[in-house]
Amino acid sequence: MKDWTGILRLEAEERNGKTVAKNVYFQGAYKVMRPVYHDHSGQVCYYILNPGGGYLDGDRYQMKIALNEQARLTLTTQSATKIYRTPKQPAYQETEIILKKGSYLEYITDPLIGYKDARYQQKTVVKMEKGATFLYSDIITSGWSPDGEQFSYDLLQLISEIYMDDELVVYDHIKLNPANHHMASLGYMEGFSHLGSMIVVGEQVNADLLDQLYHAVHEDKGDYKIGLSLLPVSGLIVRVLANSTQTIEKIHTTCHHMISRELFNTIPSFLRKY
Amino acid sequence: MDKNTLSLFQLCDSNFPTGAFSHSYGLESYIQADQVHDQTTFSKWLHVYVNEQLVHSDGLASRLVFDALQDGKLDQVWKLDRMLTVQNLPRETREGTQKMGDRMLNLVGSLYDVPVLLLYRDRIKKKQCFGHPAIVFTMIGHHLGVSQSTTILYYLYSVISSLVQNAVRAIPLGQTAGQKVIQGFQDVLLEAVDKILGLNEEDFGIISPGLELSQMQHERVNIRIFMS
Repeated sequence: MKDWTGILRLEAEERNGKTVAKNVYFQGAYKVMRPVYHDHSGQVCYYILNPGGGYLDGDRYQMKIALNEQARLTLTTQSATKIYRTPKQPAYQETEIILKKGSYLEYITDPLIGYKDARYQQKTVVKMEKGATFLYSDIITSGWSPDGEQFSYDLLQLISEIYMDDELVVYDHIKLNPANHHMASLGYMEGFSHLGSMIVVGEQVNADLLDQLYHAVHEDKGDYKIGLSLLPVSGLIVRVLANSTQTIEKIHTTCHHMISRELFNTIPSFLRKY
Repeated sequence: MDKNTLSLFQLCDSNFPTGAFSHSYGLESYIQADQVHDQTTFSKWLHVYVNEQLVHSDGLASRLVFDALQDGKLDQVWKLDRMLTVQNLPRETREGTQKMGDRMLNLVGSLYDVPVLLLYRDRIKKKQCFGHPAIVFTMIGHHLGVSQSTTILYYLYSVISSLVQNAVRAIPLGQTAGQKVIQGFQDVLLEAVDKILGLNEEDFGIISPGLELSQMQHERVNIRIFMS
């Protein structure tokens, strides 16, 4: 089971106020572009590319990201993650993230698009030290099929585990298998097509910040449904049901800006993509 | 029914004072949005709650805790206590459940002299554990020598009988309608137990997006009769 379709290793550290890669390695169907410094904050941004254009049957991807003390990194994908049909083996991605004290990782992923008959499993493990900050967001779409049918994929499963000083503090398990569910039903997707999640873990997150976010993004028109809450550890989650990627992106961007301002007094950079 | 099963039955009574009467697990959000307003819509909600949420969290945990107690692997029990808490991301539901676990533990601690209950209480006091009603209930079922599947079944029954009473008050429903729901759920619960016995450990904590969201939204519900 060690045949990876794509491997990515990235270790970054802080040097004189600037975050630089200490170690970058990638192989197979994973690539990162050259680092980008969007502003003068010293925070570095890496774009992850999937030169193959999508995940195929039985593909296995492994990513390991490590930030040393005080390092600040934005990690994002270049475009949506497409999962094509997987007749034999689900596609799989595992990610390990290690965050030392004082480091900050924002991991903003593009939408996940499951094609007809696709199966995909993702496991993300984050190991943080107290004093580190982690911001993550994802969007799961209703997928793609030639006849426009929604939820034609077979399985999208995303497991995220966050450890703080070796103790499990957040466990998030999303498993959508449309064949076994009436997706539109009450309590499930409730007639919406897209599911967005944003998770932030960091010592400075508190109920005041949650209130601010709530007032900025709570629904008034009914074209989306949103829930916000404080996590079992100092941190928060924003969950959104909506009908388009854009609706969720807009909410995520608003939250991201408020969080950056509140936590670091910075403004996130616009992530240019094709 | 033998004496031991009868003893476990005491914990299923919706009057058993664990505080379950003040938690709706997001049901109140749906009632206020008028998505749950009668026996049919309530049954629909309860169906999803049992089959999507309860089965993958409390239900599977109960089974695994029972196994762990059987094997004397207490570390496994404490691990599940943490898993149950950290997979419960809506704050009100998480904190409410924790409080119920604590109350239930204190209460059964006065009824039963079981070492593992004392251990659990001690760990909660030391903040090494959180407390969860499914774990306390399973500990008693195991102690009484009731079978694993019956323990799980009775636990699920205890949850829905409280929820039905809450729905009767909040929607409101007639008492007869409430009893009809409970009767209608007897097969659903039996099937849920079969499902739980067939699950893998990896199925733990799967969320139902809409339910979870409604539990988070409850924090912002203005006029409320429930704490979650």
